[in-house]
Amino acid sequence: MTNRRLPFPRFAALLAVSLLLSAAPPALAQEGSMPVLPDLTDESVVDVMTRAVDEVIRPGYRAFEASAGGLAEATTAFCKAPSDASRKAVDAAFRQAVADWGRIEIVRVGPVLDDNRFERILFYPDRKGTGLKQVQALLQKQDEADTDAAAMGGKSVAIQGFGALEFALFGTGSETLMEKPDSFRCRYAAAVASHIRTTASGLAAAWDAPDGVQRDWKHPGPKNPVFRTGKEAVTALLGILVHGAEAVRDQRIETFYRHGGTARPKSAVFWRSGNTWTSIDANIEGLRTLFDKSGMVGLIDPNFASIGGNIDFVLKSLQRVAPTVGTDIEKAVTTPEEQQKIAFLLVNTRDLILRLNGEYGGAIGLGAGFSFADGD
Amino acid sequence: MTARPSASLDRRTFLRMAGAAWAASLAARPAFALSRTDAVFASGYREPDGSFGIAVLAEDGTIIDRTPLPARSHGMAFSPATQHLVAFARRPGTFALVIDRSGTAAPITIAAAEDRHFFGHGCFSPDGRFLYASENDFDANRGVIGLYDAHDGYRRIGEYSTFGIGTHDLSVSDDGRLLIAANGGIETHPDFGRTKLNLDHMEPSLALIDAATGALIERHALPEKLRQLSTRHVDLDEKGRIWFACQYEGPRNDLPPLVGRLSKGEDLTFLSLPEETTIGLANYVGAIAVNRREDLVGLTSPNGGRFVMLDARTGRVLKEETVADAAGIAAAPHGFAVSSYDGRFAGRREDVAWDQHIAGLRPR
Repeated sequence: MTNRRLPFPRFAALLAVSLLLSAAPPALAQEGSMPVLPDLTDESVVDVMTRAVDEVIRPGYRAFEASAGGLAEATTAFCKAPSDASRKAVDAAFRQAVADWGRIEIVRVGPVLDDNRFERILFYPDRKGTGLKQVQALLQKQDEADTDAAAMGGKSVAIQGFGALEFALFGTGSETLMEKPDSFRCRYAAAVASHIRTTASGLAAAWDAPDGVQRDWKHPGPKNPVFRTGKEAVTALLGILVHGAEAVRDQRIETFYRHGGTARPKSAVFWRSGNTWTSIDANIEGLRTLFDKSGMVGLIDPNFASIGGNIDFVLKSLQRVAPTVGTDIEKAVTTPEEQQKIAFLLVNTRDLILRLNGEYGGAIGLGAGFSFADGD
Repeated sequence: MTARPSASLDRRTFLRMAGAAWAASLAARPAFALSRTDAVFASGYREPDGSFGIAVLAEDGTIIDRTPLPARSHGMAFSPATQHLVAFARRPGTFALVIDRSGTAAPITIAAAEDRHFFGHGCFSPDGRFLYASENDFDANRGVIGLYDAHDGYRRIGEYSTFGIGTHDLSVSDDGRLLIAANGGIETHPDFGRTKLNLDHMEPSLALIDAATGALIERHALPEKLRQLSTRHVDLDEKGRIWFACQYEGPRNDLPPLVGRLSKGEDLTFLSLPEETTIGLANYVGAIAVNRREDLVGLTSPNGGRFVMLDARTGRVLKEETVADAAGIAAAPHGFAVSSYDGRFAGRREDVAWDQHIAGLRPR
């Protein structure tokens, strides 16, 4: 993650622009008429769904599988020969895996929900410290069975994902990893990293199977077990974006920083490794990649293409600011300049949700936007 | 009467979460529809600007009054005895708003207890003394019924188990002795938003619970082959039979039964609807209502854009209509009032998006 800082006056101007953007009337009102609703037939959405699957989702899981593999190898090598160089390699591999997961993490539907894969990869937030306590107890007990990657899948999800690995590599006591080769703590970390790779491989394989979920996503129809109509398929695609944007705001940022609330920097995702914004920026990048590469804007009335432009603008604004927030979260939540950046992200993720939900959702014929079609 | 959250979450915290502007707008409101006796329905809505509220409506769908809400609501509870109307926040919501329709008291906000959130539905005891709310004990992954004392500012006085997970709708028998919980069987946790965490091992059920003690009287788990059929909404007919409606999380090309009924002491039974009716409901019944006077059952499906009316005696389909974005349904003097996401209500159109449920404001 780059740590480029924006000078404060420039940031303040950016915030002002953002607020103006948020306050602007929606494109529907600006253009004085209602968009012509597309006829979302089974055939008309095939291109969009195919691009979403083949150019975003499948490559996303494959990238995560590759970086999870790199992390497992780097951790194993570090355990065998701890050194400054092997340590740096682990740090870089961890950051890369966090970023690659962050980009595809936005897909909270499909095979990732089977067998608790999502929580196996990232058990977060751990508000009651359940996972932390389990990992601390495990490190204290030093049971060799806990260094067996093959057995990891049968244990608590809290000790087999990124949260556990981050504590082992970056948490209290992690400095002992450098003291001797093949320490219990390091071998446990390597086992967790290996298990993350296994889970990632399962996800990539599930999406790559030609007759599996990818076929169902690409070709809606009356006999399809996932989407019976083109509208259902596009609604689900929009759902990934809406839920993904909601998760960035509600589950990733407001977990540790809420305007007027008590800041909880140690509740931030990946705070121990300084990768909080790596993860959040990757989430935003994942949303933007899906929105842009799927070509879903092409489904709506061309006279209302500004809806797509506005969404892309907000996503770009978010991506411009997220990587510039300091990696020291404790400092970030107490420094006015950094607080304003986080506030900017909160304002604009809200705006993003409204634009996706109301404007894009309305333009594809969802009466009151996506969230109403996501009833109870 | 002042806003009074439950003991475990102080009012200041709740109001900070809800927003000062909302609190101010509520405090400044006049007594609620004091002189308007023609209000017969209530429903949550979203304004074009994205804000939310709850409205009461006349029989023809005319909005009589609106009360702003800090966030989106879902189901409601109404007590004819006390004229109290409660709007529950949509899951995973943390507030419920009590409105006194007699106009003698200001609204009361109920904040969810610590480690609980509202599932979006609830009901009153027949005398209006107790409010029962379906809630999620999310860390333990179990449904609970929060008990609130209307005589004590809706203080949370305890909770019962629902003997299931993913509880959604909640109803009470006419004599007040039996609580009926629709345990949808889907695990959710506020840390994961609205993500359904266990679609591969759901546990749907209907539970009948002793309203006085919280003891389980009957629990009807769905058969293994219908494990992905989420029991979501219930209503009771004149004979005390429980009608339930479901949403299916399994393969989209399956055609599972979506509606059934249950009487205490008997096994649950599913209605065998015509295939085209089941296809029209798109594996998703969003709301169910019983018209007791005419012995009818009404269903709506936003996903299928469908309104279906059944004969409660025979289960036969009497009427089936295409209603785009069909949302709520409630018994009307004749048949049903149906609302939609795009602002239609009983044939009238307003510039709001109606939410998923309608509450009747007159005795059943």
